[in-house]
Parts: sequence; structure tokens; C-alpha cells
Amino acid sequence: MTAEQAAEAAPISAQAVEEALLAFLAERIKTSVAVDQDLFGSGLVSSMFAMQLVVHLEEAYDIAIIGPELKLDNFRTVQAMTALVLRLSAARDG
Amino acid sequence: MADALADERAFVGELVGDRPAAWDLAGELPVELLQKLGAKGILCAEVPAAFGGLGAGSLDNGELTAYVGGLCSSLRSIMTSQGIAAWTVRRFGDREQRRRLLADLTGGRLAAVAFSEPEAGSDLSAMRTRISPDGGGVVVDGRKKWVTGARYADLLVVLGRHGDGAAAVVVPADAPGVHVEPIAAPLGCRAGGHANVRLEGVRLPASSVLGGGGQPLSMLFTTALTYGRMSVAWGCVGIIRACLESATGHTKHRRQSGRPLAGHQLVAGQLADLLVAEQVSTRVCEHASRAWESGSPDLVIEAVLAKHVSAGHAARSAATAVQLLASAGAEDGHTAARAYRDAKLMEIIEGSNEICRLILADHALAGVD
Ligand SMILES: Cc1cc2nc3c(=O)[nH]c(=O)nc-3n(C[C@H](O)[C@H](O)[C@H](O)COP(=O)(O)OP(=O)(O)OC[C@H]3O[C@@H](n4cnc5c(N)ncnc54)[C@H](O)[C@@H]3O)c2cc1C
Repeated sequence: MTAEQAAEAAPISAQAVEEALLAFLAERIKTSVAVDQDLFGSGLVSSMFAMQLVVHLEEAYDIAIIGPELKLDNFRTVQAMTALVLRLSAARDG
Repeated sequence: MADALADERAFVGELVGDRPAAWDLAGELPVELLQKLGAKGILCAEVPAAFGGLGAGSLDNGELTAYVGGLCSSLRSIMTSQGIAAWTVRRFGDREQRRRLLADLTGGRLAAVAFSEPEAGSDLSAMRTRISPDGGGVVVDGRKKWVTGARYADLLVVLGRHGDGAAAVVVPADAPGVHVEPIAAPLGCRAGGHANVRLEGVRLPASSVLGGGGQPLSMLFTTALTYGRMSVAWGCVGIIRACLESATGHTKHRRQSGRPLAGHQLVAGQLADLLVAEQVSTRVCEHASRAWESGSPDLVIEAVLAKHVSAGHAARSAATAVQLLASAGAEDGHTAARAYRDAKLMEIIEGSNEICRLILADHALAGVD
């Protein structure tokens, strides 16, 4: 399931978001990562990709990630980003 | 061509008139003029109406930026800085900061953005400026280099390290410990108000740190720079248009060896080059602005491409314009002479030619298994 399709099928599951994120990372940085791997600490994320990630999540899940949500801790791992997406989508729908 | 900001364009045209040559020679812009433009929201036209801005899209603001860039790159560079500041606040500020600071930035207060440091130019990851906790607030220490508009600014958006991440902090230019040291005689954008800034134990309330800080440094500066790249790219389109207009106007009327200059094929060939530069740069900027407006992740790379293409064309077009005008364009203050000096610097800022090419090469390689 693509991220776009995931966004259609509410409510989105953590597993679906994780899978879509792993696929996006594999496509963009040509590396398969673990869901709990520190992406920023490991140098896998270029400065360009850091912003692309944010814009991608906003576009794919129809959420706005701004202000205090843009913290390193929310982006460090696939798990953290998944939690962020689920929380912001729930806030938007709730 | 976009008409959405026609009134704003006319307002700028009226205020600016034929003064850019004198501003270039004096190395200074009238600060009241900047405040007037700021209070109309023109310096950061993409700020949404809900925050007091003009709510322009990237394409419309791009055309406005090109218009200003064609008149005066110093003024356009102030627009770029104000726009980066507003964009950074919009992305990273919390609700209260967005409301308060975007009202300031569309209400006549002027901002500059400080990334570069003596040891961190192209490599911003080497940034050393620190934003540390200090009681209930923060204290900022560091040195920043070549900050456009710092001389006129009320607010400095300063990027620095914060915990194990980074932050952008909004520093009033008159806060104790802030030292703004103007650069005496820049090569180009001479009236841009560039200054080196020393921050020594600058104490500020916690509410000065956008979104509470703790962002990844790379995300922070790429987000800010991406707006800057769009703005510089469109500003370069303006430089190229000014060169094209100046060169065609001159070569059509000045006669040498029994015919207008434009009637000599070697001259005509260069006019064609200018037109190609103007069209190519406009198209690549439009393309990037559409990516920006649609919120595509590709906007990050498209902005680099647009900036690189337009800056290169602007530098070459300015050299061509000086060549075709010859002595008529060789006087400081003249459109061609200003373009020649200003455009060269566009190949350095917001990602130099080399840095842009490295990013583009990475992008090209990313598609290869
Ligand atoms: C007109 C103007 C306005 C500016 N406004 C601002 C502003 O508002 N705010 C701000 O913070 N800064 C500003 N700057 C500073 C600007 O961002 C830096 O000049 C720029 O990042 C380059 O850094 P540097 O000058 O230290 O050059 P360096 O980084 O020392 O580079 C020198 C040369 O080496 C090349 N180079 C460097 N690293 C590499 C590499 N890895 N591979 C290949 N080549 C490399 C560069 O491309 C360049 O040609 C401004 C500069 C100018 C000229």
C-alpha cells in the first residue's frame, strides 16, 4: 500500500505508516533501515533529505508538521515518525 | 504573467523610481522605504492573510521578486532575507510566535537571517553558535558573517546549536551583547546592509526560541535556505531581464560602422543568448514554484536547480550586457555595471555554484542502483 492510499483508508495503522516510510526511505536513500535505527545520528539523512522527509509526510498524510512538532526526536527513527503521523492525523480527524 | 500583485508592483515601482543607481553608489538603502514596503507585506508576500500578509503563492511572489530584482538587487536581497525570516517563523514557530512575529514582519519591522560563521560557510554543519539554557530563558553566543540586511534589521533570526540539535532564535538587534559590524564595501548588492554580527552573552526569554528549539540542524537550515534559493533564483531572473532590456535598447539605436550595433551578427548572437537565458531561467523558476505550491518533496531539489541555473545565467548575461553596452554600461551605478557585480555574488550565496553542483550530482546518482 502506498502512503497516499494509506491516507485514504482511515484510520491508518502504525504498521501501514511504518511500511510506507521504510519504502520511501529505501527508494530515496537506497538503504534499508530498521524501524528503531537513528537516521540522523547515523549520517543517513542528508540536509536535503531532512526537509524532503517533512514535506513528504505532510503531502502523503495530509497533515501539517510545524512549530514544536519539528523536533529532532520526532524524526530520529521510523518509529518516531510513525507515532508523529498517527498523532497528527488523529488530531486532524478528531 | 501574474497580475495578482499588480498593485504591489506599482507601489514598489513608484517608491523606487530611478534611485537604485544612487543607492548603489552610496552603499545604502533608505530605511523608511524598507519599512514602508514591509508594512504593506511586500517584503515577505507569501505570509498568509490570516497572519496579516498578502497570501501570495510562490509563482506570484516569484514574479514580484523578479520585478524588484530587475530594479535593484540590494532591495531584492532585503526581500529575500525578510522572506526567509517569515518562512522560518511559519515553519518552526509555535502558535503564539507565528501570530506575534508574522504580524511584526508584515507590519514594518525588518529582519535578517544569520547562518554563516567564520568557520562555517559552505559547510553549515560546522556551525558553532550556541543557544544555551539560562535560568528560565536562553543565552546566545557566537559570531555570524555577512548577514544581509543586518544593518537595517530590527530582528535577527540566528541559527545555532541547541542541546543535541539546533534552534532558530529571534534576537532583537538592540539587545545587549549584539554587535552589528557593517561590511564597508561589498563587491555587489552594495546597499544590502551586510554586516558581521557578534553575539556575546545575549540573554533572551525562552519565547525567543522558535518552537522551543531542538530541531535537526540540517532540517532547519535546508528549510530556511530553500525559500532563499527560490527568492534568489527569481531575483536573478530580474537581473537577466534588466540586462536583456538594457542591451536590446542600446544596440538597436546606437550605430557603428554604418548600421545599428544589433545589425552586426556578432552582436545579434549575444542578444539571442540573453533571450535564451531569460526564457530558460524563467521556466526553471516557474517549475520550482509549482513544485513549491503543490507541496511536492521535489521542491527541495527543484529550488537548488532553479537557483543554480538562474545565477549562472545572470552572471553570464550581466557580462554580456556590459560587453554590448561597452563604455555606456561601464559606469558604476548603471544597470549593466550593477548587474555585473550583483550577479557574481548570486553564484556564491544560498549554495555556491560548487555546492549546488554537488547536490545536483548526488541527486543524479540517487537514481542509480
Ligand atoms: C552578497 C552576500 C550575501 C550574504 N548574505 C548572507 C546572509 O544573509 N546570511 C548569512 O548567514 N550568510 C550570508 N552570506 C554568506 C554566504 O552564505 C557565504 O558566503 C557562503 O555560504 C559561502 O561561504 P564562504 O564565503 O565561507 O565560502 P567557503 O565556504 O569558504 O567557500 C569558498 C569556495 O570554496 C568552494 N567550496 C567550499 N566547500 C566546497 C566543497 N565541499 N566542495 C567544492 N567546493 C567547495 C565554494 O563553493 C567557494 O567557491 C552572504 C554572502 C554574500 C556574498
